Amino acid sequence: MKAPEQIMRVVVTGPVGAGKTTFIKTISEIESIDTDRRATDEMAHLKPTTTVAMDFGRVTFGPNMALHLYGTPGQERFNFMWDILLRQAHGIVLLAPAHRPKDFFAASRLLRYARQRAPEAPLLIAATHSDLPQAWPIADILPAFGIDASESQIPTLSINATAERDVARTLIALVERYAERSNAKRIAS
Amino acid sequence: MPINYSAIQSALQEFVTSVSNVQGASIMSPDGLAIASSLPAGMEEERVAAMSAAMLALGERIGRELSRGQIERILVEGEKGYAIVSSCTEDAVLIVLTDEKVKLGVINLEVRQLIDRLRPSLTFAKTNVA
Repeated sequence: MKAPEQIMRVVVTGPVGAGKTTFIKTISEIESIDTDRRATDEMAHLKPTTTVAMDFGRVTFGPNMALHLYGTPGQERFNFMWDILLRQAHGIVLLAPAHRPKDFFAASRLLRYARQRAPEAPLLIAATHSDLPQAWPIADILPAFGIDASESQIPTLSINATAERDVARTLIALVERYAERSNAKRIAS
Repeated sequence: MPINYSAIQSALQEFVTSVSNVQGASIMSPDGLAIASSLPAGMEEERVAAMSAAMLALGERIGRELSRGQIERILVEGEKGYAIVSSCTEDAVLIVLTDEKVKLGVINLEVRQLIDRLRPSLTFAKTNVA
């Protein structure tokens, strides 16, 4: 008999154009569900469409675990969706577009928001677009968020959201953090 | 040609005041930016716009995923009334808020007529970036 499947809900968040929809599309085993609409705001010159509700994808992880990936919209006007999705989160991936330092402030706001709404969920930061010449080095991103890198427990990676290997690496790192935390909790109780 | 916002605005206002049981109406772009509104006091236009766009997008996606065909409207039925979201044109979404006593048959007809009236002013030429 097949062991009951454990589901881990991962919320993929980050500012507009960080690559959330792409991240999920890259790894999902099912055809990912998006709610893209033509962008008419100030982001329209960066990308033609934008997520207005959520993205959804699914990945099997080992014999008895499945990751459900939920992508949030990036713009702050959709923060009610952040709430809805974060409420259920077992883990959070924050994507930060390394080539657009002016979005770091929005990313750090999202980071604080996520920390506040889902304090229990392990979180990691993945810098996207880091192959571009104007991209900031990964080591400079946390300080730019106003986080002391030496004190922070937040793992940071540099990824390409279109590369399956990179997305998988990010999710494995998150699942490991999740398992560590669950074990620590079990020992403590 | 510039969009005639005041015409849209007054059409919404007239709709809200003249159709019984209607408490508010708002038009937004499909990516959730407010275009025009006549909403009850204390209701934030920006928030209504983002929520309506999200609800329509998710509803349409559910419709497609679960083979429900073309989606006519998304309906939220609450103790205190209805929120009805409909796609207006390719560039506009409409939400109408009513009290709980409204007759659905009547309001569906009224909404359809409102959309017909608004459609000419809400079909934007692609070259016309507002």
